[in-house]
Amino acid sequence: MNDTPTTPGYQRRQSVSLLKIDQYAYINRLAHVHPLEKMVLALVTMIICLVFSSPATSLIVILSMAGMAILLARIPASFFLKLMLAPVAFLLLSVLTVAFVWVKDPAGLLWGFNVGCYTVGVTSRGLITAGDLFLKSLGAVACLYFLSLTTPMVDILSVLKALRLPPLFIELMSLVYRFIFVLLDTADKIYTSQASRWGYATMKTSYSSLGQLVSNLFTKAGRNYQMLYTTLTSRCYTGELNVLESSHVLSRKNLFLIILFEAALLLASMHLAGFLTPFAGGAGS
Amino acid sequence: MKDKPILETRGLGFSYVDGTQALVDVDLAIPAGKKIAFLGPNGAGKTTLFLHFNGLIRPDRGKVYFAGQEVRYDHASLLELRKKVGVVFQDPETQLFSASVRQEISFGPLNLGLPREAVLQRVHKAMQDTGILELQDRPTHFLSYGQKKRVAIADILAMQPEVLICDEPTAWLDVKHAGQIMDLLTEINGEGVTVIISTHDVDLAYSWADYIFIMKSGKVIGEATPECIFYNRQLLEEAELQRPWLLDLYEELQRKGWVSAGLPPKNIREFLRSIRDKEPA
Repeated sequence: MNDTPTTPGYQRRQSVSLLKIDQYAYINRLAHVHPLEKMVLALVTMIICLVFSSPATSLIVILSMAGMAILLARIPASFFLKLMLAPVAFLLLSVLTVAFVWVKDPAGLLWGFNVGCYTVGVTSRGLITAGDLFLKSLGAVACLYFLSLTTPMVDILSVLKALRLPPLFIELMSLVYRFIFVLLDTADKIYTSQASRWGYATMKTSYSSLGQLVSNLFTKAGRNYQMLYTTLTSRCYTGELNVLESSHVLSRKNLFLIILFEAALLLASMHLAGFLTPFAGGAGS
Repeated sequence: MKDKPILETRGLGFSYVDGTQALVDVDLAIPAGKKIAFLGPNGAGKTTLFLHFNGLIRPDRGKVYFAGQEVRYDHASLLELRKKVGVVFQDPETQLFSASVRQEISFGPLNLGLPREAVLQRVHKAMQDTGILELQDRPTHFLSYGQKKRVAIADILAMQPEVLICDEPTAWLDVKHAGQIMDLLTEINGEGVTVIISTHDVDLAYSWADYIFIMKSGKVIGEATPECIFYNRQLLEEAELQRPWLLDLYEELQRKGWVSAGLPPKNIREFLRSIRDKEPA
């Protein structure tokens, strides 16, 4: 393969990560657990993480989600770490804009430099906010990673269907999910055939090849769509994609453990945020 | 053929929007319960003909008959036809729309309005018959090409059609998997289903089919049992088809008197037997 970091090559590596997440979703140890349990766990944890903007809560969330993904679902720690590092560069950039302030009076700045008559610098409060935000975002990301690494998309869709979301929305999601892989595969084949003919030898040819790849994909997708409609029609399609839903069983034990975990997380977060004092009495929910 | 035809066309003609004459005056009768092969080069009109059998294309001229009844093109009649005639398309990648194998197969039977229990039973049987039970919890995009092909066949089997049409069932498959698919189609035929395939592989058509139609440029230019059709040298020349190598070899050995008398062999096993059965003079 071409080692120069041209745009298509970069995309290829991105899609490899995406495919791996999808693979783990089907083969991890928690794959057969009812999807609702995993969705509740991930989403409630994420809400707690977002509501309590405390770094301690965020850290607990990151560690517990990582722990569950690695120890319970048996996702390799190195892969989870790699995934967590993926948004770090992006996060750092966005968090920097929060940390830096733009003032006339440099008093109170920990560090700064002059731009004309203004000073750009960091305050301790800005740094703390930035750190909080950074951890909070990572916490939310960890929750979503846990969900996407342990729960196959098909299962998530069947829960959404059970929750009475509009069928059109669910059918669209399921078709998009199915055909992402066909599209990636097609793109991969076109890329390989282009690369084998020096399509990505220089920056210039790379851009023109990429353009052709995209336009080619577009026409192929159109043809694929027509063919799909024909094949569905031949199976008596009348406007609704009816399929059998998977039959998972809700586990009372798991639900109890999830509630226990969320309650503990909530109490710990409230305690750390100072809402719980020895005089408050009761759990104060 | 004396058997009652299950599918019949009379004066069938169809042109695509760009003016290509895909079918020209096709008259044919497909006997029920047999293994049928349509032989012909790419672009001969085999796929277009199959789309007519399923009511997916409305002919420009002529008519299609299913079990003696003229095919009509209102919604209810079409659904009824598609329940009885199933098509497995050449590329499973465009046929499989669901990311889950079980859900994929359940689509057809659910559209037939069957109760959940019956659907579950049919899906299970279709997976069992196509040997993909162990794939049921795998996502579609993890499957190999041969496995996808089996799922595509199970899709249609689960609808329990009277006629199963397979467009190029062995395309892009290696020899071993192609053989398995053809064995599967033979088994399906054994349960009373008329199986129709298209192919350009003369050896395959010769050894598998009970009856062969030869197509070229939108016309059916010949039809007969495999034993007869490959002795019609003029037809083969016109169709630009080669003879099955097994027949050529058998004839040569017969001339030398090295094989036992009888019908020409349909496959290697029969061929070897006809050599072994011949007592040395």
